[in-house]
Amino acid sequence: MKIFKLPDLGEGLQEAEIVEWQVQVGDSVSADEPLVTVETDKAVVDVPAPRSGQIAKLYAAAGEIVQVGKPLVEFTDGDDVRSDAGTVVGSVQAGDARITEQPAAFARGKTGIKATPAVRALARRLDVDLTIVSPSGRDSVITKADVERVAKRLAELGPPELLRGPRRTMAQKMAQARSEVAPATIVEDADVQDWAAGTNHTVRLVRAIEAGCVAEPSLNAWFDGHSLGRRLLQKIDVAVAVDTKDGLFVPVLRDVSNRDNDDLRRGLDSLKADARARRIPAEEMRGYTITLTNFGMIAGRYAAPVVIPPTVAILGAGRVRDAVVAIDGAATVRRIMPLSLTFDHRAVTGGEAGRFMAAAIASLESS
Amino acid sequence: MSEVTLVEAVNMALARAMSVDEDVVVLGEDVGVNGGVFRATAGLQERFGEARVIDTPLAENLIAGTAVGMAAHGLKPIAEIQFMGFIYPALDQLLSHASRLRTRTRGRLTCPMVLRAPFGGGIHAPEHHSESTEALFAHIPGLRVVIPSSPARAYGLLLASIRDPDPVVFLEPKRIYRMVKQDVADDGRALPLDVCFVLRSGADVTLVTWGAMIHETIQAADALSSAGISAEVIDIATIKPLDIETILESVEKTGRCVIVHEAARSGGWGAEISAQLMERGLLSLLAPVQRVTGYDTVMPLFRLEDRYMPSVDRIVQAVHATLEFE
Amino acid sequence: MTAPFIFDPLQYLDPDGVVVSEPLPEWANDVATLIRLYRTMVETRAFDAKAIALQRTGQLGTYASSLGQEAIGVAMASAMTTDDVLLPTYREYGAQFWRGTTMAEILLYWGGDERGSDYAGPRRDFPISVPIATHACHAVGVAYAMKLRQQLQVAVCFVGDGATSKGDFYEAINAAGVWQLPVVFVVTNNQWAISVPISKQTAAETLSQKAVAAGIAGRRVDGNDCIAMKQAAIDAIDNARNGQGPTLVEAMTYRMSDHTTADDASRYRSAEEVDAHRLLDPIERLRRYMESRGLWVDAEERELRVETAKRVEQQVKVYLDTPLPAPQAMFDHLYATLPRALDSQRQAVIEDE
Repeated sequence: MKIFKLPDLGEGLQEAEIVEWQVQVGDSVSADEPLVTVETDKAVVDVPAPRSGQIAKLYAAAGEIVQVGKPLVEFTDGDDVRSDAGTVVGSVQAGDARITEQPAAFARGKTGIKATPAVRALARRLDVDLTIVSPSGRDSVITKADVERVAKRLAELGPPELLRGPRRTMAQKMAQARSEVAPATIVEDADVQDWAAGTNHTVRLVRAIEAGCVAEPSLNAWFDGHSLGRRLLQKIDVAVAVDTKDGLFVPVLRDVSNRDNDDLRRGLDSLKADARARRIPAEEMRGYTITLTNFGMIAGRYAAPVVIPPTVAILGAGRVRDAVVAIDGAATVRRIMPLSLTFDHRAVTGGEAGRFMAAAIASLESS
Repeated sequence: MSEVTLVEAVNMALARAMSVDEDVVVLGEDVGVNGGVFRATAGLQERFGEARVIDTPLAENLIAGTAVGMAAHGLKPIAEIQFMGFIYPALDQLLSHASRLRTRTRGRLTCPMVLRAPFGGGIHAPEHHSESTEALFAHIPGLRVVIPSSPARAYGLLLASIRDPDPVVFLEPKRIYRMVKQDVADDGRALPLDVCFVLRSGADVTLVTWGAMIHETIQAADALSSAGISAEVIDIATIKPLDIETILESVEKTGRCVIVHEAARSGGWGAEISAQLMERGLLSLLAPVQRVTGYDTVMPLFRLEDRYMPSVDRIVQAVHATLEFE
Repeated sequence: MTAPFIFDPLQYLDPDGVVVSEPLPEWANDVATLIRLYRTMVETRAFDAKAIALQRTGQLGTYASSLGQEAIGVAMASAMTTDDVLLPTYREYGAQFWRGTTMAEILLYWGGDERGSDYAGPRRDFPISVPIATHACHAVGVAYAMKLRQQLQVAVCFVGDGATSKGDFYEAINAAGVWQLPVVFVVTNNQWAISVPISKQTAAETLSQKAVAAGIAGRRVDGNDCIAMKQAAIDAIDNARNGQGPTLVEAMTYRMSDHTTADDASRYRSAEEVDAHRLLDPIERLRRYMESRGLWVDAEERELRVETAKRVEQQVKVYLDTPLPAPQAMFDHLYATLPRALDSQRQAVIEDE
């Protein structure tokens, strides 16, 4: 309230005389503190402050008479209309917040594995991965029997061999690649008939990659799937897949553009030797910008090799073979190297991949 | 020891309570001279007098409110509401007063009253005489709700309710008022409140029920037994406070539960039992808890009564469904 | 036999405290009695003003004032014995204080603490009743128990004018009549049920005439005349105690305050109307009478005010110093023994600290 009126003092009294003010204009007063002493016909009484606040005005002076219900004191703030509490019990808080509501899009979740909590708990206890259990229940529900069946089978097979070292790394990296990359592959053949004997295939492939990157720099890049950003890289650091009895190693041939072929050859040889001897430190297997897998040295023609993030491309070379091809309308036998380029389609277009491939092939087919 | 029906057992318990405690009084419409429309209070007025067996004016709210006042001032009133269909004016006195008198006076005033009412369908009665709304009362904090399912349990539980220092709503399933007879000793021995009674032991499924549905449930258990399915049958008896421990123990063993009640499905007491089983027995459950209940419709007039109320067949089917879940 | 019904309101003192009906009752010659009635009314009003101030300053919850109605409760209680039972509504602080309920207890109640209803004094009295008229049926039960036990006690039940429209009220007076119970129903007709004036409440010309329908005695009294009120109380309570059955006493008064501290009566009634009723004040009236007979002087008045103010302050301090109940208190006294099913909830509340 802003203006406090002289309250009913009881006994049917209609007025009171101000004896003494306990506050001055400008004073701050607390609720229930004495505000003013008044005298009625019957008694001298202290009137308590009805609220805390600062005094703005006193409506009467000492010695003057005030009627019950008439203004006594004014506070600096508040309003003098008794606001409608809008209730007869308690207090209903009023707020100023305005709300607008938009209908929420109800996203449908993907259906996962269906199993009751008891069955899930059983699977945990028996150490059975529910993703490998074929459900036999109605509506593809995994039953207790299903879990028990798989548990029995796994028990017969014995415990799994836990992957370590490069095999472990490979499992982790490939899983990550699977979940992030949007792979697409194009395949093509390179005519290497004119290669001189003793040509180092790997060096030629590295040069082909360099040519592809020069033609299409977007394949020599790192892609950030979270921010949807990419970094085009100046240096071309080629990771070369090396197969060893311990598993796959991918040491890096650094900065291939600024090295001559002999240097590359020496580099490759030492990488392979070191890989096989397990002498390669971890840093030498990091930070590559594009990958080469020359699986053709073992077997295989075309493939869809796996792009490891954050790189966006991997070139795979299959086994060089004699193949019948058509040249100028006539069948002839040429030495053919099959090539497979997998690229991350989040970062690289088909056109870019195609042009990369064309440039790589041009490099391979040149003498 | 005598062979009595459920309503006779009620009468026996009332007489026994009144004979040992002068503070016990009975009040309600037609309870005195007429002995109650179901004869639950037959003979009491002759034995104990008009002052203690009171024919009240026709006013359910008054009956309950008077019981509150009597109880607060030291009597042990047993108020009868003639049918559950007429109990609703008394709901105010139960909810606003009986259930909270002790707590709102910090135990200074208490309300040791019993409110009895016949309830449930199946007697081909006219409208409004077949209700099963025990869930409304079970929802009220501070109240006890007790439902007997046999003459022996009617005797023992009613005595316990009368002796209990807090208000009890004692609902008597009128369909089985006279359906069976049982040997009940008039020995003044009460049965425990707040506990379930396991009527049948079984391993494959837990059947939970109360009141008249016990009979259909037992029949279903028999039928299942011939099919090689052993059902455990639990009569919860005290609706609230619920003895969930016994039910949980059973479900831990069987992994499956079917709740049977006459009352309408949604918000019926089966929902509370199901929720508690989910909270505390989830890892034991091999199938969702099933409820076999009345439908969410107004209780139909008696021509369709049998289609509304859970039948032996529906219970059996529910058990099969729960067993076939996985 | 038709129960007696007296239409004309009993009155001894007019609004100015002048005697209008002689002779006054014998007991009214006892100065000590008059003074005790007066003091209790003054105390009730002082408490009331303080309670409102506490509510306005956020130290008390919603509060229902008894302003202007003090004589009714005080007079009725003064005619009761310790063993009689009071069933109040929420404006009978005068009766409650007379019977030993403390101001601190009433403040605790409105302050949101159940311990306020655990009266240390009158152990059998019912607590404040917020639902309307439901306690009239309780009064029937209490009186029945008294009669059955032949205790020669009386139940005194207060209801308001609004309550006389409610089923519980009719059911209660009807049962009290047919069972001839030792109960007195006091209808405090303060003219207002929140915003509904008595003219909209019933077509009955008086509220006491509802006694006729129940076959019980009915009486009207000027509820602001403490002497008349006490005499009506004595008559009704004695009759009840002597087995002559119940009486419905309609005490005419006016609700000088808002319905509760959350209500604003100016929304539905005029300041002029309220002002006019200030002239009927019960405390003023008795004081003028006593002064006119030389039974009360200014010095005593001042002393009473000071004393009362001190007592109120002391009780307010007790209230304000009462610590909050422990949260698990909501489980205490829910049942005589807390059922096992509730143990975990009680534990959860304790651990929630």
